[in-house]
Amino acid sequence: MNPRNASVLELDPKAKPGIVVRRRWQQSLLTFLMVFGPGLIVMEADNDAGAVSTYVQAGGQYGLHLLWILLLLLPITYFVQEMVARLGIATGKGHAAMIYERFGKWWGHFSLFDLLVVNFLTLITEFAAISLALSAMGVSPWIAVPVSAAGLILLVITGSYLRWERTVIVLCLLDLTWFALTAFVHPTWTAVAYNTFVPNLPPGRITGDLIFLIIAIVGTTIAPWQLFFQQSCVAEKRLRFADLKWARLDTLIGATFTVLVAGAMMIVGNYGYQHGIQFQDPAQMAKALAPLAGHFVRNGILLLMVNAAVLGTTAISLASAWAYGEVRGWPHSLHKKIWEAPGFYAVYIACVGLAAGIVLIPHMPLQLVIVSVQVFAGLILPSAIIFLQLLLNDHALLGDEWVNRPWNNWINWTIIFVLFALSLLLAAQVMLPKLFN
Amino acid sequence: MATMQNTYPSEYFRVVHPLEDAPEQKCETQGLGPIAMTPGVRISLVVLRGYLILMTLMLVWHVLDMAGVLRKLK
Repeated sequence: MNPRNASVLELDPKAKPGIVVRRRWQQSLLTFLMVFGPGLIVMEADNDAGAVSTYVQAGGQYGLHLLWILLLLLPITYFVQEMVARLGIATGKGHAAMIYERFGKWWGHFSLFDLLVVNFLTLITEFAAISLALSAMGVSPWIAVPVSAAGLILLVITGSYLRWERTVIVLCLLDLTWFALTAFVHPTWTAVAYNTFVPNLPPGRITGDLIFLIIAIVGTTIAPWQLFFQQSCVAEKRLRFADLKWARLDTLIGATFTVLVAGAMMIVGNYGYQHGIQFQDPAQMAKALAPLAGHFVRNGILLLMVNAAVLGTTAISLASAWAYGEVRGWPHSLHKKIWEAPGFYAVYIACVGLAAGIVLIPHMPLQLVIVSVQVFAGLILPSAIIFLQLLLNDHALLGDEWVNRPWNNWINWTIIFVLFALSLLLAAQVMLPKLFN
Repeated sequence: MATMQNTYPSEYFRVVHPLEDAPEQKCETQGLGPIAMTPGVRISLVVLRGYLILMTLMLVWHVLDMAGVLRKLK
């Protein structure tokens, strides 16, 4: 059940592919660099346009008081995504394929349909953010949106997974700019440290808005598409059993980086809070901050919003295309040319193209789209995570070596229980708002 | 395997990129059929079905409310 490829390598440089090194630390470092990618991408792409909006809003409304939630979410995201990476390495298949094969057609099609809907609605919000941010910089949506869509399609149709991965890693690293913005707004670092490590709530009574912002932060940090994306990505990269420890490190680095960037977003939002700036979205905040913090901060926020949306779009569209290809049994790989996997690329292009087209429709009801995203995410996240947990306890499939340990299960069932409750609460608040008044 | 020791001088190691390495045998689902319905699996799926039914009912209520049907019934 748990076979390992254990052939002895020969040292003739021409005989086998690879790089020969002389030191064990070089071997470890090089192996890690080769494995590195899916964990960082899945985590950082989760800091998409919606996440930028949520974190900046949290800072703008409540200052630094909610920073500790991010620290709490770090191990949660890591534990969930570690299971995904482990399952992907052990089976070499994506999450949609595993649900379909082990739980039957009904659950397989339900998961796929729900994933495709929530992903597509999320893509509309990503393009809306691109339109909003670039409009604030004087670029017409009629140029910004089609050019972004074309760029996102070009990014994947080159027939090279590694080219896509390297480009996206560079985009992820552009988010380091959030730290520069943080330095520009001169936060009080002792207050940052206090609010990060000491759980506290904003002064005044606990309101419904505060509770739902907290739920939104949790929902933003753990998104359903992430489970499908990372497992497919790990399978696409053909990671081996021996790579698991490096995939875990990749995931941990990704989770830590993402949480730090999210914290930086809250700190930038806090700058608006300190100066009494009211805003509905990050683009508004960026424009309002310009006279106070300068054009670097203004343009930085707007461009980082675009970068977040681009990252989110490529990862979410790929999650959909991989999942659809897996369930339909189509060729579904970035290694293949467009004519070798037409269905897979058609799904990706359709997701990007249609979402971009919808955003250009005048008076598009964006609020309805956002509400629908929350409702469908409330359906898909608990089910996807339950299937993940059950698959990681499937001894017949994984044998004893790759299944969850008892301590794994205790942690993961606790996480699942909390996510179920929060998803239900968020969906109930969206659909039955009178219940909470 | 990405990194393995060999029988040559111990300070030499070959590192192979996963995409260039020989495919290894994975845990296969072929011949396994659907997952075994242990009590844990059964309870989890029942809870999941209950959760989805509840969410669907809330969604139907919300749609009826938005359409003004509930106001007419009252």
